[in-house]
Amino acid sequence: MEKRIPKIGVYICDPGGKVGKVIDLQILAEKCGKTKGVEHSEVIADPWSEEFLSGVREKIGAGEIDRIIWGGRFTVRQQEILKEKLTEATLNPYLHEWCDLELHGVGQNTEGTNVQQKKALSLVKMAIARAKHLQPLEPLDIPATDAAVIVGAGIAGLHVAASFLERGKPVHLVEQQSGVGGKVALLSRFYPLNCDPHCGLEYVLKSLRGSDKLTLHTLSKPTAIEGAAGNFLVTLQTEPRYVDENRCNGCGLCTEVCPVDLPVYTDNVQDEPPFQWENGIGSMIRDTRKAIHPSLPYAFPESYVVDRQACPEGCAKCRDICPTQAIELDQVPSERNLKAGAVVATTGWDPYPLSKMSAYFGYGSYPNVIGNLEMEQLLSRMSRGIDNLSAPPVKDLKTVGFVQCVGSRNKQHLSYCSSICCSATIKQIQQLKSIQPEVTCVVYYQDMRCIGFEEDMYQAVKKSEDILFVRGFPQITGSESGSSQLLAVAEDTFSGKPVKKDLDLLVLAGGMQLSQAGQDFAEVSGLPLNENNFLTGHYQCYPEESQRSGILSGGCARGPMNVSQSIDSANRAALKALNFLDGSISIQPTYPLVDKTKCDECKRCVEECPFACYHYDEKGFPEPDLGKCRQCGNCMGTCPVAAISLNNFTIKQLAAQIEVLENSFLDYEEPVILAFLCENDAYLAARAAVDSGLNPPLNAIYVKVPCAGAVNNAVVADALALGIDGILIAGCSDGQCHYVNGNQLVLKRSGDLREKLTTMMIEPERVRSESVEIQESTRFVEILEDYIKDLKELGPNPFKI
Amino acid sequence: MAPKVDFIKCDGCKAQDEPLCEQVCPGNLMTLGENGKAYCRETSDCWDCMSCTKICPVGAIETRMPFQLGYHGAKLIPMMGTNTITWTCIDIDGKVERFRCKTRTD
Repeated sequence: MEKRIPKIGVYICDPGGKVGKVIDLQILAEKCGKTKGVEHSEVIADPWSEEFLSGVREKIGAGEIDRIIWGGRFTVRQQEILKEKLTEATLNPYLHEWCDLELHGVGQNTEGTNVQQKKALSLVKMAIARAKHLQPLEPLDIPATDAAVIVGAGIAGLHVAASFLERGKPVHLVEQQSGVGGKVALLSRFYPLNCDPHCGLEYVLKSLRGSDKLTLHTLSKPTAIEGAAGNFLVTLQTEPRYVDENRCNGCGLCTEVCPVDLPVYTDNVQDEPPFQWENGIGSMIRDTRKAIHPSLPYAFPESYVVDRQACPEGCAKCRDICPTQAIELDQVPSERNLKAGAVVATTGWDPYPLSKMSAYFGYGSYPNVIGNLEMEQLLSRMSRGIDNLSAPPVKDLKTVGFVQCVGSRNKQHLSYCSSICCSATIKQIQQLKSIQPEVTCVVYYQDMRCIGFEEDMYQAVKKSEDILFVRGFPQITGSESGSSQLLAVAEDTFSGKPVKKDLDLLVLAGGMQLSQAGQDFAEVSGLPLNENNFLTGHYQCYPEESQRSGILSGGCARGPMNVSQSIDSANRAALKALNFLDGSISIQPTYPLVDKTKCDECKRCVEECPFACYHYDEKGFPEPDLGKCRQCGNCMGTCPVAAISLNNFTIKQLAAQIEVLENSFLDYEEPVILAFLCENDAYLAARAAVDSGLNPPLNAIYVKVPCAGAVNNAVVADALALGIDGILIAGCSDGQCHYVNGNQLVLKRSGDLREKLTTMMIEPERVRSESVEIQESTRFVEILEDYIKDLKELGPNPFKI
Repeated sequence: MAPKVDFIKCDGCKAQDEPLCEQVCPGNLMTLGENGKAYCRETSDCWDCMSCTKICPVGAIETRMPFQLGYHGAKLIPMMGTNTITWTCIDIDGKVERFRCKTRTD
């Protein structure tokens, strides 16, 4: 660390002359000029004139000044421009200090001119104290991998892969099943255009086929994700396929000799079939497949796969007949490590197990009660004219019932709305009617929620006379006549009358939940699930991001979505992930530094970091993983020995600022408040309060902090011991903190401090934490006024001189 | 008089192997009990340096004044700033005195 005496230039800008009308800026500049460390001080009218800037550059070049304090109001954009213009003159952008006088109420009105003059000086002196501790900083560039790992090759995963490939990034696409496509490959149609999803899959696969940058890892799942953004190390566990993907040309000779018949749509890596075939429609479909078969659910990769568990012992007929010698029956499971700059989880959804709802609608008891995903299969077969269903119930459908919200919007099951089932049912009715126009449909619902453009589908279906909507859930019993029909009795809550129907088929619209693969991913990556058990970041502000930088989630891994929303989400995730795939990660220099001479290795920072980015170095000291760090400063706030500082926002700088804070700008009886304001909302609310002319009281001095959780108790103690009457820490509301729980942490810490103050016979009310939203500028002023009133009642701080 | 730990406030420094008070105690007297809270294992050996009281991040430790200095009920409470300690001294009559001392750790 350089030990030069800083030479500070102070430029007080007042372009509109607004502040100058209220206080005497010349006197302010003169007094600043006399402060130790200040080499130059002046009031300027136009900081943008080339004449002025070249003068500053000359001064910097001649070594007269080496850091600058800008008094007055500058927008962030203007700050950037000034920094950029002076970087040419070798002034590091982190050697500027901004002292916003107007924010603190200086020059806003003509009341208390004297106080304003003194306060302005106090503020500039604080800035000078801080400026003395500024250090030049440079961003860090960490070499990184430009490859991405995508977990889950459903429609979302495929779109993410396509986006990356378009940008020329290497992609590892990891899929648990033997082929891509996920749930979309099991659908018959997708709405609102009612087209065949295989066409949609084929469309996105077009950009994947033949790409040399794509590596498809089928029958694989991640078992560990180490490292941070830019440099993840993903461990993959791969089950054998028993077929050489490169040699197999998919000719299908092997299936002709394979002696094993298996029920269709089960895959060899899944312990359980994707949905409950055994109870429902599984018994109706006569289709079988061989032990060696094309990839499922969609035949990409084009190579075949062997369900080895089903093979008879010693049988190698497929190997013997294969013309390309592609079949390798002695393959074993393998493990491999992949390097990745970013990991995108598109693990998709699973249907809510309808067996849990069997008590209500007879699922599992009657073969013609099926789930809506099974209905998709049925429709797919009907539309293709495949007529091998085990006849009676489905061959000649007369009345088909649909029950909505089976499992969804039910506190005992899924509390949320699965959002797609209403439209999916409408779509199924449309398709069913197009195949069998004479069929009658009955929809049992509590609310029809066809949102957005899907309303048109709903209205179109509603017009039809042989589609009946019944608001109420049915009781299902076997038919009285003894046929295979079901008797459904429901109370229509509109008319209050019972509706009795004989049904040939009943379709249950089950809910969507995070897939098993998604839950496994959460466990492997150490990410928490939200209250509805889906992967998510900050639900609104960065939905696709997670608490680990570089790990993103898209599609139904984030919540129930239809196909188009899922693709939307996937593309957003891809866009965010591209930031980590540039081959190097640039890290802002404002990362935390641990002072190892002070650190006691108490490991509190490791525990409280909201992004779990601390690990121990070889000597046992905590060290942040800069790739993971979001630079919120919660470690800085929590450190009991104040050994952690964010660069450019250090404990030393804060302490120096507070030490010079002169509370004499107000009368002895008037309380002075030091307010630490979260830069995401409270600070902006304070700014808006001034801009909208609310005239916040002059008693408060604001310090902008990256997160309320970055305020260390030692700094607060400093301020109290120096006679500041009240400390206000303002952060976000509960659950809104962008750094997970910074506001909670500071609440706990200031609570501890308040208790200590009580034992010290100092009023605990001198430390107050509040949550302020960005638009609550009026409330912010109220909080300040209320606090001033309370502090006046308490009287001055006993340490006040 | 030995340090007294408020078991409700003490979080055992998040149950790490060595809580902060154990690390700083010059006599190696503080340790974690089975309940995950810190305690002084040999009260008669404590010489009232107050290191543990000063370092405790949640303010759970109180050092009772020895009777030679102040009778039962007298209190000496440190509050740690970044480079200062603010001492509050309360005697048995409730008289309060406060001192602020610089520490030179930089």
